[in-house]
Amino acid sequence: MTQIVDRPVTGETKPMTMAAAITDALDLALGHDPSVVMYGEDVGNLGGVYRITTGLQKKHGIARVFDCPLTESGIVGTAVGMAAVGMRPVVELQFGGFMMPAMDQIYSHVSRFRYRSRGRWKTPLVVRFPVGGGLGLLEQHADSPETYLAHTPGIKVAYPSNPYDAKGLLLSAIEDDDPVFFFETIKNYRDPKLRMEVPTGYYKIPLGKARVAREGSDVTLITWGGMVQECETAAAAAAESGIQCEIIDLRTISPIDLETILESVEKTGRVVIVHEANLTGGMGAEISALIAQHALYSLEAPIERVAGFDTMPSPFNSLNHFSRPEAIHIADAIRRVLSA
Amino acid sequence: MAKSSRTTSKQDATFKGSVTETSELKPFQILAPDGKPVREDLIPDLELVETLYRKMAQMRYLDDKFFALAKQARLGTYAQFGGQEASQVGSAFALERSDYLAPMYRSTAAMITHGWSTKNAIMYWRGHPEGWRMPDNLNILPIIISIPGQYVHGAGAALGAKLKGTNQIAMTYIGEGGTSQGDFHIAVNFAAATNAPCVFIIENNGWAISVPRAVQSKVDYLMRRAEGYGIPGYLVDGNDVLAVHHTAKQAVDDARAGKGPSLIEQMTYRVRPHTTGDEPKAYRTEDEAHEWIEKRDPISRVKKFLELEKRWNDDREVAMIAEIESEFAEALAAADAAPAPDPRALMEYVMVNPGQNLIAQQAELERRIAAFGGAA
Repeated sequence: MTQIVDRPVTGETKPMTMAAAITDALDLALGHDPSVVMYGEDVGNLGGVYRITTGLQKKHGIARVFDCPLTESGIVGTAVGMAAVGMRPVVELQFGGFMMPAMDQIYSHVSRFRYRSRGRWKTPLVVRFPVGGGLGLLEQHADSPETYLAHTPGIKVAYPSNPYDAKGLLLSAIEDDDPVFFFETIKNYRDPKLRMEVPTGYYKIPLGKARVAREGSDVTLITWGGMVQECETAAAAAAESGIQCEIIDLRTISPIDLETILESVEKTGRVVIVHEANLTGGMGAEISALIAQHALYSLEAPIERVAGFDTMPSPFNSLNHFSRPEAIHIADAIRRVLSA
Repeated sequence: MAKSSRTTSKQDATFKGSVTETSELKPFQILAPDGKPVREDLIPDLELVETLYRKMAQMRYLDDKFFALAKQARLGTYAQFGGQEASQVGSAFALERSDYLAPMYRSTAAMITHGWSTKNAIMYWRGHPEGWRMPDNLNILPIIISIPGQYVHGAGAALGAKLKGTNQIAMTYIGEGGTSQGDFHIAVNFAAATNAPCVFIIENNGWAISVPRAVQSKVDYLMRRAEGYGIPGYLVDGNDVLAVHHTAKQAVDDARAGKGPSLIEQMTYRVRPHTTGDEPKAYRTEDEAHEWIEKRDPISRVKKFLELEKRWNDDREVAMIAEIESEFAEALAAADAAPAPDPRALMEYVMVNPGQNLIAQQAELERRIAAFGGAA
């Protein structure tokens, strides 16, 4: 069951950053399915504030990739109507922190349109946005709002940690008949350390399937998105002291791959959950409850959570390194969970 | 607490003159309230007039029956449209069957005009899952309770149809209260900016539950906002089915011809309570409603016209009522005969590919059915 490194690299590959892998997926999707359309603020002519859709309008035409009025609620709400009539909108919101104006459409309609009509109307749409802090950006440019979405029934949430996963998950998301929210960690977009060989062809990674990013027997780190890289740094440091961490990269926050989590927890008995979103009511709480319900007797120590503080995400850009979980904070939690 | 009618007066005093009359704008009419044509030149084929009349009469009967059924607890909370038959039938009748309709909770007459069945309507308002299922041959989007989401979906459906090149258009409904929502602006502006073929209808029935129209906006007519979006705006007597249909047809034809969206304000009146759970006596006097019922009723207006034209008489009326009654009785019997809802419906259609959480909860539901029984 355990997949250590499920990156079956077949055919031609190319070194890609997260940003390049996402652009590649969008380009392939536009070529693959004529019902795919992309729109949002700045995505057409400019290619988005992070240039993820650069060149796509020129290549695929203005009817496929276009700029629209500045309205998150309008972007998401029109995508619901558009998806109902048979299109596959892949829309971009400028930042995850800008999702809230669309929250009524998400909570009241994206999540329920199919349920409400008992399958008559489908909502095969994807909402992509940049998330996460650590770069000293402005307020609402550094949020990680996955919890609000995971709590909302009827939608899926993908939160990749590396270029290979990002491309495969995004292509799955676009093909999926359920609405999918796709989180893109800004700090990872062009990080050269994450650049890796990625197949240039069309491939998919299933939604709802976690990845064991690192094998270990002493403690399980459960994480996703930009925090995977921080966990890997912490795990490498721990290994120098002889502590073997296992890292579960969830890849999809909703639905959660409980099986992979439990398999690891039963092996290590010690758990640290790491997420960038703030602590209270975060996904760490849900995962802790699932572990308590299904694997309580495997636990050797209380579950530790490393998360953002219950404040604004990344407030005061001069203090980012205190507010956003980093490898040193994770290493700290690993020590606590081992000494319990 | 003070009687709400007094509360309203107090508020009127505080915000006196809150609506600004900016011109002599008058709602467009083809028939006067007494049934006499105001615009002879625009009277359509009498066949059409009779069809609209029959549909409105059928809707009035349905609305009254639904109210009675709700009072007998044979229907859940229901939002009546009675008095707004012209506004809904006249506009929805301008659509082709393949066009998209994005309704709200008070749009039952528009939905039935667009092909929804009375049986399904009964099942929907009973909360029966089968009533929530829209048949595959009807392009009616789900009923939206939390307005004005449907306005944005209508804009999106219209834009989607345009991008697909299908020649379909969308029509969506909102009340005057809903125009105060942000998504009202978002939807109309989005459709205008993208030239999406969407017809936006405001059914101005004067009341958002207990809140009168004057509280919603300073502008005299809400359709004036059309100018701000760069699209045509129409002001129509919403109780004149011929004026409503004529205007909607114009907007529908324009949308289909690639001329983009329109905004139509149909002046009508909510002569009924907001829903079966509402009591208007708490916030308004009955005089105003009576005036609309007695002097401006949309159905008797067109009936009088048909009688003047010698197209209608008591015999035909009696025959029509008998037909409406038997059709309704048949639909009600069919709805009553439907099997009780299976609780498993709760867990269906949440996701195309459910995750572990839903699968576990489906198992829990099965356990509950086994333990506590599955009858509704």
